[in-house]
Amino acid sequence: MDLHQFSDWLSATPISQSIQITPWAIPGIQTIHIICLALVFACALVLSLRIAGHGLTSEPLAQLAARFTRAIWLLLVLLLATGLLLITAEPGRTITNPVFYAKMTMLALVIVITLWLAAVARRQFERPSGLHVVAAVFGMLLWIGIIFAGRFIAYVESN
Amino acid sequence: MNLTFFEWLQNTPIAVLVGEDWFPWVESAHVVFLAAVAGTIFTVDARLAGLTSRQLRFTYLSEKLLPWTWGAFIGAAITGGLMFIANATSYVGNTPFLIKMGLLLLAGVNMLYFQFVTFRTVQAWDSGTPIPAARVAGVLSMLVWGGVIGFGRWIGFV
Repeated sequence: MDLHQFSDWLSATPISQSIQITPWAIPGIQTIHIICLALVFACALVLSLRIAGHGLTSEPLAQLAARFTRAIWLLLVLLLATGLLLITAEPGRTITNPVFYAKMTMLALVIVITLWLAAVARRQFERPSGLHVVAAVFGMLLWIGIIFAGRFIAYVESN
Repeated sequence: MNLTFFEWLQNTPIAVLVGEDWFPWVESAHVVFLAAVAGTIFTVDARLAGLTSRQLRFTYLSEKLLPWTWGAFIGAAITGGLMFIANATSYVGNTPFLIKMGLLLLAGVNMLYFQFVTFRTVQAWDSGTPIPAARVAGVLSMLVWGGVIGFGRWIGFV
């Protein structure tokens, strides 16, 4: 079964059909997806700023990183769940779309960066190196790229 | 409704440029700015509602985050304005768009009331759980901004 056949099979499943015929379902799920995205973006921003020595500097980095990475993982689970529902509803829009794979590649990269920074922060460094700051900035650029790719899925033709 | 003004607006060179070529880029930038606006507001609201970051003073958290909110809000307003002029004649009759604008106004009123009334007693509740009026402002703000995002997304489906 290739991707097109999988896509056709998925869009014929009862769950996909029920999302498709409910008029508010897709904008509703997208709204939850965007709210979670906004929160994850803010959490990543707070964490990246702190690593660069700005923002919420009153508490130790290890403590701040623990709180905000916990929130990031929880939000990523919600983003994954709503994202899967959106793919199930309209598989032809995403799983054969190159922009979707660009988005997933950037997501994988930003997860690796966040895991690494969280692990480093747990070792209580209070003077992040230049490499940590570069990783934090690159992570924010990846989040921006993910948002652009997410929107461009709607504009780029699927294969 | 005076349609000729919106027709003129929609035919300005910049509106035509956005409508024909830039729309996906402007829209994506709008989502980045709105993520920064809503994400930072939700973080401050959750503290105001007494849900998270209770170990930080409310004034400390808001002083650190709200400059980012305002900066991103300017970006969201500019990109939103560019999208509006590109299709001005249809947006003025688009119900979700009008509701979104109403909710933005409501968010502003909520913020002004909080700033000039509730916030005056901030020293009494800056640490720990805020007073009920502050918590109401935080919850209301989260609901209104959630609505702004929801109706904003709905604009494209009408």
